[in-house]
Amino acid sequence: MKLSSVLRLPALLAAALVAPALVDAEHTSNWAVLVCTSRFWFNYRHLANVLSIYRTVKRLGIPDSQIILMLPDDMACNPRNAFPGTVYSNADRAVDLYGDNIEVDYRGYEVTVENFIRLLTDRVPEEMPRSKRLLTDDRSNILVYMTGHGGNEFLKFQDAEEIGAFDLADAFEQMWEKKRYHEILFMIDTCQANTMYTKLYSPNIIATGSSKLDQSSYSHHADNDIGVAVIDRYTYYNLEFLETEVRDTNSKKTIGDLFDSYTYEKIHSHAGTRYDLFRGGAEAARSRLVTDFFGNVQNVEVDATRNATFEEEMLSLSRTIAALRQKADEEESAKKNVTSDAGHAPTTQKKIEFAKPLTDENWWTKKMYSAAALAGCAFLWGMGSYLEAPR
Amino acid sequence: MAARRPLAKGATPDVDSPKSTPPISAVPAPNPPETVSTTRKQPPVEKPSDIRRRTWVILSFWLIVVCLGLPIWWETTTIYRANLPLTEMLEWSDGKACRPVFPLRISIQANALHEQEAQNLLRLTQHALDDLNDFSGHHLRLQLSPPTVEHAPREDGGTALTIRLIPGEATTSTLDPYAPILDITYPPNSIPSPTSSSSSLATYVASQLRSTFAEEQAIISYLLSSDSVPSDHRPQGLTPEAAESLSKRTTRSLKYAPTYHLTFSLFTSGPLPSSWDIEAAIDEYMKPVLDVLSPIHNFTIDTQVQLYATPGVQNQVLTKEDLSSFINAAEWPLSPSIGGAPTINFIVFVGNQTILTAPMENTETETYHTSQSWLIPQWGTVYLLPLPADTTQVSAETLKQPLLTFTSHLLSLTGTPQSGSLPLRLSTLARIRSADLLLRASSTLGSLARLALALPSISIPERVADGVSKTMTHLRQACDNLGGADGLAHARVAEAEAERAFFEKSMVGQLYFPDEHKIAVYIPLLGPIGIPLLMGLLNEVKAWRKRKRERAEKEAKKKE
Repeated sequence: MKLSSVLRLPALLAAALVAPALVDAEHTSNWAVLVCTSRFWFNYRHLANVLSIYRTVKRLGIPDSQIILMLPDDMACNPRNAFPGTVYSNADRAVDLYGDNIEVDYRGYEVTVENFIRLLTDRVPEEMPRSKRLLTDDRSNILVYMTGHGGNEFLKFQDAEEIGAFDLADAFEQMWEKKRYHEILFMIDTCQANTMYTKLYSPNIIATGSSKLDQSSYSHHADNDIGVAVIDRYTYYNLEFLETEVRDTNSKKTIGDLFDSYTYEKIHSHAGTRYDLFRGGAEAARSRLVTDFFGNVQNVEVDATRNATFEEEMLSLSRTIAALRQKADEEESAKKNVTSDAGHAPTTQKKIEFAKPLTDENWWTKKMYSAAALAGCAFLWGMGSYLEAPR
Repeated sequence: MAARRPLAKGATPDVDSPKSTPPISAVPAPNPPETVSTTRKQPPVEKPSDIRRRTWVILSFWLIVVCLGLPIWWETTTIYRANLPLTEMLEWSDGKACRPVFPLRISIQANALHEQEAQNLLRLTQHALDDLNDFSGHHLRLQLSPPTVEHAPREDGGTALTIRLIPGEATTSTLDPYAPILDITYPPNSIPSPTSSSSSLATYVASQLRSTFAEEQAIISYLLSSDSVPSDHRPQGLTPEAAESLSKRTTRSLKYAPTYHLTFSLFTSGPLPSSWDIEAAIDEYMKPVLDVLSPIHNFTIDTQVQLYATPGVQNQVLTKEDLSSFINAAEWPLSPSIGGAPTINFIVFVGNQTILTAPMENTETETYHTSQSWLIPQWGTVYLLPLPADTTQVSAETLKQPLLTFTSHLLSLTGTPQSGSLPLRLSTLARIRSADLLLRASSTLGSLARLALALPSISIPERVADGVSKTMTHLRQACDNLGGADGLAHARVAEAEAERAFFEKSMVGQLYFPDEHKIAVYIPLLGPIGIPLLMGLLNEVKAWRKRKRERAEKEAKKKE
C-alpha cells in the first residue's frame, strides 16, 4: 500500500533521476573460480597458491557451493610429500591448506581448457551436477584466479594444451552476452601474466596480473623439508594483504588499496592492472571493496516488527483458496471421467511396437551411408581381383 | 574410381614388356639423341609406353587429390553452422517483434443497474481510466458482465478482476479476500445521467482500479525499462522512491524457475534440541501457500538438523553488518545440490541473540525492536528462535512463527507483489513472471544471434536452429496471450528452449587458431606431399611442351 501511494505522486519530472538508479544495481551473490593449471610435484607452489586463495575466500564467506576449484594434481597424496595429506603455502607450516573440509570440483585430468571454457559458458552436459557448474546470473560477482605456467598470450594446461588470451576473452564475452556476471575480478599469476588479459573486451572486468610481457613471475620461498618452492611472490603478497588488512567481511579496504600494495621490490616483477573495461573506469573499479569479490557480503533485509495476524490471515486465506481450487479440480476431473468413460472405452487397442533405435534422427541417412560404404568396399575388392586375374 | 581405371588399363599391358624386348632397339626414336659428344654414358631412352604410363600416374594422383582429397578436407574442416534467422532473433531481443501489451479485462457486475445506465457508467469509467493511464503496455479494458451470474469467482483466464457494484450508503470499496473481486458500493444518486460527460462514481472506480493495479503496472514497466525495449514503451513517470523499491524487489526475488527446492535447517550451537516437528509444521503453516503457488511453481522440500553449529558471528548483539556474515558458509552444509532446482534456504537458529538495527531505519519506534529474522536476497531467511535450554524436541506450535515468517518471505523471494488481496497478487505474479520469461527468452535469442555473428569459428549444430525456431513459435504465442492463462506456459517453454539452444554443449567456442598455427599444422603435411606432386606436374608439362615443339619442328622439316 505504501508503494501505491508513492506511485500516485505526480512523477513526471522524476524520469531523469531513475536512470542512474537502474544502472547501479547491487550484486547478490559471490562466486570464485580458482584454477591451477599445472601438474607434477615441482609445481607444488601453484597448487598451494590456489589453495591459499581458496581458504581466503572461504574465510570471507563464500560457500563451497559457489567456489569452483580446479586442481590438476594431488599434492597432498603425492608420494614425495614429506607431510602426507597436507599442503602448506609457507615454510612455517602453520596452516594446513588441505585440511579436512575441502571440495575440489575438477580434479586431475578433468582440468582441461575445454572444461574450463565449458564451465565459464555453462555449456555442460545435462548430467553435470550443480556443484560443478557456475550458476551465476546478472547479479553475481565472480573472482577468477588462475595460476600456472604461461607465456605471451597463453596459459599452459597440464603440460598438454594451452588456453589463448583470445579464447578467454571470447568466453568472458559469451558470459556477458548471457548476463552471467555482474562484475569480474580477473587475477592471474603466471609468467608474462599481463598479456593474458590484454585481449579481453567485455565490460565490467577488472584485471590484474603478476608480470608483464617478457617477465617471469617468481616464487617466494622454498620449504627445505618439502623440498620445493611453496608459493609465488605475487600470490604471497596478495595473501599478506588479505590476511592483515581484510580480517573479516566488514572490512572497507578497496581493490585500489589492494593493487597499490603491489611493488616491484616485493613481487620482483611488474604487476599490472586493467580498468578500462570497467563501467566508470579506474575510479569506480578502484573504489570496489575487496570483499565485493573475495567475500560474500549481502545486503540483508531485517524484518521490522510485524503483526502476526496479517500472516495468519494470509495462511487461512490460502487454505481456503487451495480448498476451493481443489474442489473445482475434482469437479472438473469427475466430469471428464464421466465423458471419457462413455466415449473412449472400446477404442483401446493393442499395438505391438517394433524395436526402435534410441535416436531416430537421420536413421535412414546413416543406413544409406553404411550401405554405400559396404558397396564401395565390395567394388574395390572385385576390381582388385579382376585386375589381378591372369589373362 | 574413374581416375584409376585408365591407369590400370594402360599400365597392365606394359608390365611384361621391359623383360621381353631389348630396350633401345625397340624404340623407334624419331631423332636419336646426339650423345656422341659427351663422355658420360646416358641412360637409355625412355619408351613411349613408359612415358605414357608416367603421365597416367601423375594425372591419377592429381585426380585423386583434386576430386577426393580436396572435398574430404573441405568437408572435414568446415565448421557446420546451421542457418539461424538472425534478423528475427535480433528483432525479438530489441523488442520489435513483440509489443508486450497486457490487456486486462475487467468485468463490471452491476445487477442493480439498468443496461443503459451500466453502459454509460462503463464508458465514462473507461474514459477516466484512459486519461489516468500513461503507460501503453498495460491496458485495463472494461466490459459488462451479464447480470445473471450470481457470484461464482470465475477464473476462466479472461477476466483479471470483477467489479461488483452494489447500491449502498456511500462510495466505498473493498477487495474480496478470496477471489479477484472488488466490491464497490455507491449511493443511488451518484449514477451518471445518460447525458453527463463526467461522473464522480466513474472517476472513483477508475482511481480504485488504478491503485489496485499500480504495483503490477510499476513492476512491469520497470521490467520493460531495464530491458532493451524501445523507449516509447517505457513508462513516463517513476519516482526515485518507487524505482528504489522496485529495484529492491528485483534484487530480492529469485530468477524464475519452474521448481524451487526448499531446505529447512535447524541449527543449534549445543546438543539440544535434537529433533523438530518440521513435517507437521510445514503441513500446517506452509503447505496452503505452496498449494496456492502451485500453478506457477513446484516445490521440493528437504530438512536437516545440525548440532554444535557455530555461527559466523559470536556476538550477543547483532548489528546489520554482522547479519550478513552470520551464516557460517564454510562449515554449515547449506547447499545440498539435490536435483537441478535452485535452493531456497530457511534456517532456524536456536539462540537468543538480539538484533540491533540502525535507528534511522525505523524512526518512529525506539532503536531496539524485537526483530528475530532477516531475509538474504535471492538466498533465503534466517530466524533466531530463543528456546529454554532443556528443550529436546521443537514442537510444531513453536515453529509456527518461524514458518509464517518463512512463508511470507517465500512469497517475496518468488517475487509476489506486496499489495492487494492474495488472489490478485497471485494472478499478478503469473503475469509478471510471463513478462519476465518473455523478456529473458528474447534477450537470450539476441545473445545467441550476436554470438553467432561475433564468433565465426563457433559451430552451430542443427539442434540450436530447432531450439530457436521452437522458441520463436512459443514466444509468438506467449506474446499473443500475455494477459491470459496460456501466456505463462508458453513463455516457460520458450525460455527453456532458448536456454537449451544457447547452452548447447557442442557449441564450445574453442578454439582461437592464429594463422601461424594453421601454417604449422599444414606445412608438415603439405610439404612432403605437395612438392613431389607439383614437381611431377611441372616436369610433365615441360616434357609435353618439349614434345610438342619437337613435333612441330619435324612437321616443318617434312614440309620442306
